[in-house]
Amino acid sequence: MAERRTAKVDRDEVFLEYTKSICPICKTVVDAEVNVRDNRVILRKRCREHGLFEALVYSDAELYVAQQRFNKPGTIPLEFQTEVREGCPLDCGMCPEHKQHACLGLIELNSGCNLDCPICFADSGHQPDGFALTYEQVEFMLERFVAAEGSPEVVQFSGGEPTIHPRILDFIALAGTKGIRVVMLNTNGIRIARDAHFARELGRLKPHIYLQFDGFELETHLAIRGKDLRADKELALARCAEEGLTVTLVCAVEKGVNEHELGAIVRFGVLHPAVNSVAFQPVTHSGRHLEFDPLERLTNADVMKLVAAQVPEWFRLDDFVPVPCCFPSCRSMSYAFVDGETVVPFTRLLEIEDYLDYVSNRIYPDKAVRSALERMFSSSATPGAERALLACECFGIDLVGELDQLEQKVFTLVVQDFQDAYTLNVRQLMKCCIAEITPDGRLIPFCAYNSVGYREQVRAQLSGVEVEPVVPNAKPLQPLLRPTRYGSRTASANGRGRTNATNIGWRL
Amino acid sequence: MTFAGGEIKACCAAAYSSATARFLLGDSFHPGGAALTSRLAWALHVGPGDLVVDVACGPGSSAYQLVRETGCEVIGVDLAPPAEADDPRVSFLRGDAEALPLADASVDGVLCECAFCTFPDKATAARELARVLRPGARLALSDLIWQPDGLPESLASLEAWVGCVADARPLDEIGGLLQEAGLVVDLTEAHDDALAALLDRIEARLEVVAMFAADGVAVGRELLHEVRAALDRGLLGYGVVIAHRL
Repeated sequence: MAERRTAKVDRDEVFLEYTKSICPICKTVVDAEVNVRDNRVILRKRCREHGLFEALVYSDAELYVAQQRFNKPGTIPLEFQTEVREGCPLDCGMCPEHKQHACLGLIELNSGCNLDCPICFADSGHQPDGFALTYEQVEFMLERFVAAEGSPEVVQFSGGEPTIHPRILDFIALAGTKGIRVVMLNTNGIRIARDAHFARELGRLKPHIYLQFDGFELETHLAIRGKDLRADKELALARCAEEGLTVTLVCAVEKGVNEHELGAIVRFGVLHPAVNSVAFQPVTHSGRHLEFDPLERLTNADVMKLVAAQVPEWFRLDDFVPVPCCFPSCRSMSYAFVDGETVVPFTRLLEIEDYLDYVSNRIYPDKAVRSALERMFSSSATPGAERALLACECFGIDLVGELDQLEQKVFTLVVQDFQDAYTLNVRQLMKCCIAEITPDGRLIPFCAYNSVGYREQVRAQLSGVEVEPVVPNAKPLQPLLRPTRYGSRTASANGRGRTNATNIGWRL
Repeated sequence: MTFAGGEIKACCAAAYSSATARFLLGDSFHPGGAALTSRLAWALHVGPGDLVVDVACGPGSSAYQLVRETGCEVIGVDLAPPAEADDPRVSFLRGDAEALPLADASVDGVLCECAFCTFPDKATAARELARVLRPGARLALSDLIWQPDGLPESLASLEAWVGCVADARPLDEIGGLLQEAGLVVDLTEAHDDALAALLDRIEARLEVVAMFAADGVAVGRELLHEVRAALDRGLLGYGVVIAHRL
């Protein structure tokens, strides 16, 4: 029997949200709450079968709460692909209850890869089974995306490793013919580095290169990629510069591995002629990843503070602005003018937050400036997104003649935290604006795809091989885990019970 | 160095309506931005049905903000007023703060932001601000202030006039002028942080201009440096005065 207290005491946490999540082991939908403890935002949930789970979702509660006002009303897409039956997150996607359209569509062209990284949310690699999409499948997927979005801003080809798909160049050209403005190619850069002809062909098609780039140290490469890829990265970047391709350096940040290299990556990016943005993503603990402690994981707040601490001469914490199209704590961005070693973040030039505050609305924003900023601070932001802002009278009136020159001096930092089976919060998920396009034409919110079980389903359908449900490689779960054949973890006895879905289905 | 009042006024009006000024100063032409304007709007105690005059209204951002936040109507007066208003509750008049184009006791509030320091004849301007207020109505004024120890000679140039620093006065002197003009001062408060933040913004914008026209920013940089030094030494600051007419 519990010890009886003689005096009432306060709880050690502030109760912020009541929401839904999933059990990280059996993926059953469960109720969840979000609390603040020691200025940290922590999601807690309980599975009837597997017990209590806690995960850190934001390491600065003050910032988390302050960001809530940067929450733009969502846009309704032209069509939904599914109907509401079980409730979030079991009806993806997208169902009519989803709060936002898809800013960015992702197509994973294959499961094969020319690397076998220790960290890979897609669980890809040199594997005995897998899939590669056909031209017809990709065309159908692009058409479904266009049907839902009208004229989509961005599609990103990913994998696996999309550059090893034999028809990758056709796919890039095809997306252009479907009226999609920007095609991004998410790659490790190996083929660009080693295949000059391929690089030249890319130079002709001009996709934006979303290049995996985790740091400069051998240890970082070995821990995250299992190989020293430094020479390949350097060569790939040189080729991109040569071919006039613009590049985003995409850095997976893992605690204790490369968090000390963020400043060096920013410095390198600012000075490299091909690079116009850097994206930092705390490692998504889906698929294959290192063992981690869910209460000590890195969040956006940590990454922004690390950047501010490692390049203080250029960036401060308040130079990052929460992105209002998705849930504001999922993504923050900073734009800056750069010229050699001079870096001037846009936040120093303009009260950006006043324009993107949709809740307190104290200041009536100039509509042209607001809509220009909305294009920039979104998940579909691509190079040139700042053009409208720079053309606005209040900002660049003296400089309009220099617009083209000005754009070449714009640099972007993105900090994006993706959810996993531990951190999943349907409140955020319902406003997710990054969608995995599936071969059956669904648009599944990226974080649902990675954590709820959709990825395993789609892979099983495409490869014809049963795929075991992936469970996060978390410290507290170690006794239950065993490796899958792709290197991720699954639970020995994961129950797979559907004892409750949206709700418990009972009444008093 | 001395300048004729007319020359100063014309130069200030031209500079503040110029593209360069709009770029350098951004939406809010005064320290504290919209947040401080909000504070002043609240202090005016006005609401729907009231009429407020914004003296030296510039491009009118504060006039619109005042209308949205309080529901009052606003007349913006400036030597170079904006062409037309896009809200029926806002109108603009060309006019001089030393001879306001308004009848005695005709308004329920006066707003004057970061402009008093640019009025060459401050006693006359103070009398005008008082004259147009109806009895009991309030004035909310924010302005650059300086300590009586004096500003460096370099901040007395025409550029410094345009930059509002050359003829800034101590806060109690502004209060004194308003009192002599027949107003009762209810409150004075310092907002030096707002000035520091504005200087940061102007400096950042100058850096961007310098990326494209390196030689065009020398005077601005020098002036900025002097102003910041004065702020750091406590010689220069920003202040608010709230007063009412008896």
